[in-house]
Amino acid sequence: MKDIIRAKCLLSSDVETLINQQIKKEAHSSAIYLSMASWCNRNGYDFSSDYFFKQAEEERMHQLKFYKYILDMGGTAISPDITNIKIEYNSFREVFEEALDQEISVTQSIKNIAARCHKEQDYVTLEFLNWFFREQREEEYKARRALELFDVIGEEGTGRWQIDKHVGQIKYESEA
Amino acid sequence: MQDLVILPSINFTEVFNTNKGAIYQSDSENCWYIDFAGKLARFDYRNLLKLKKAVYQIDIENLLLNSTKAPDLEIIFICACDHCYVLSILEIIALKELLQGTFVMLELNHIIFDRLHRIVA
Repeated sequence: MKDIIRAKCLLSSDVETLINQQIKKEAHSSAIYLSMASWCNRNGYDFSSDYFFKQAEEERMHQLKFYKYILDMGGTAISPDITNIKIEYNSFREVFEEALDQEISVTQSIKNIAARCHKEQDYVTLEFLNWFFREQREEEYKARRALELFDVIGEEGTGRWQIDKHVGQIKYESEA
Repeated sequence: MQDLVILPSINFTEVFNTNKGAIYQSDSENCWYIDFAGKLARFDYRNLLKLKKAVYQIDIENLLLNSTKAPDLEIIFICACDHCYVLSILEIIALKELLQGTFVMLELNHIIFDRLHRIVA
């Protein structure tokens, strides 16, 4: 008897479901960043607004990467519906705190997929995920650095204006 | 003279059966035939997975416990598939058992294939 299921798809149904959930997570992330960009722009933090627009693009790109991977492997990629995106934030700092939380949650979620792949010996997907782990190092670094600016510059006086100016210049240039 | 009807020869391999039904695989057509609820229905790879999802999603406990006067019938309709099942609770349980057994056997077949033909020992 032929092994039809394996011939049709490389992914197990569990891994496929997890990646589909990740697609939703990335899409949600992208939408949140867009909302943050809007808030920053409305409140006069133009550099931060640009920063979040770029982050939204990146998350969208991650989403498509997962999406195409499922399709390339013979699975069914599901286009997610995204609702409940917050519009208002209490403070400039809160925006960046939530951005970091968002990145941490994405990293943890990808780690969980990798754990499942190890269990199933799905080394193909594991190798695919490596790219995302490198990417998350950068994303978490940037989000953490932005929050650090609030501490080192301080929010008093023209502090927020300074922070906004420096957010746009954050770069991750590690050789590690 | 006798009319001779020639049917195409289809080779079925039985994947799993219970006393309520059976599922066969056709290697030549790359599909499965489900003999259940009085009919033989053909399912390709995508539709079989959709059927599995539809049946597994039914909350059997909830169907058994709810005391509304609605008839105990569930319609299993699969998008872009020619077949549709209208089943009672007992039939749903039987179909679920049949599908579970089938997927275990398909997984076993996959493991055997790996061991015999694919993995260099």
